Amino acid sequence: MSTPLSLQDLDLPRRNGELAFDAPWQSTVFALAAAVTEHAFGGDREPFRQQLIAAIAADPGRPYWESWTAALEALVQTLPDQPRP
Amino acid sequence: MSAEGHHPAPVSPVEQRVAALEALLTERGLVPEGFIEEITRRYESEIGPMNGAKVVARAWVDPQYKQRLLAGATAAIAELGFGGPEGDHMVVVENTPGIHNVIVCTLCSCYPWPVLGLPPAWYKDPPYRARMVREPRTVLAEMGCPLPSETEIRVWDSSAEVRYLVLPERPPGTAGMTEAELARLVTRDSMIGVARL
Repeated sequence: MSTPLSLQDLDLPRRNGELAFDAPWQSTVFALAAAVTEHAFGGDREPFRQQLIAAIAADPGRPYWESWTAALEALVQTLPDQPRP
Repeated sequence: MSAEGHHPAPVSPVEQRVAALEALLTERGLVPEGFIEEITRRYESEIGPMNGAKVVARAWVDPQYKQRLLAGATAAIAELGFGGPEGDHMVVVENTPGIHNVIVCTLCSCYPWPVLGLPPAWYKDPPYRARMVREPRTVLAEMGCPLPSETEIRVWDSSAEVRYLVLPERPPGTAGMTEAELARLVTRDSMIGVARL
């Protein structure tokens, strides 16, 4: 079993109200996942959640929003080819 | 003249990938005009731990509300106007002198968005997700929340459909405070369960 990183290694935020996103691309990819969930899956969040679980498991050390991006890319692959009418 | 402006900051590979996703999904009609801006604005300014704090303060001052909250959290939280994505199967777990609750998502980053907003970075990182289940007492102590050995720690894994919120104990010496004053005492970390008030 690998030794887990110590929590001391992390920059633990101790306060409320930190910004949710560190960079514009992070809020964009967050909102894109919300858009796909809402408009292609009728609000069912489970398809994206399953992709996110898989993306995190595939590369546990990868930065979170990059896993999120990979999950969305994988989810988009499952959409039908034709643009919606 | 300097060359400033002729060499804009390079776009990172992940930024390029996100731009490609945005273009593709927009072309498919899945991203309405203004959607990204609206979602970002909402999560940066409206949806956050201040919502959960109002729920906690109401539960502290209104025993009947607290009863409803513990019996059916989704509906009780909706009474205060909070709901939506990641908040439709809410369960509130109550701290007592002998029991301390803490929430985690071992598989990804499930979190009660309507009452806490988006999770902090450490909540999404592997050390917290793995260790809080295995050695909660040690992790809590490392995070500045040491607990007496006789206190039972209950770890709630949000990986199922359920999203948990911790109802912290009302701090001593707050008997004369109004609901609004109480809400200001409630921290995000206390509602995750990695801090006490």
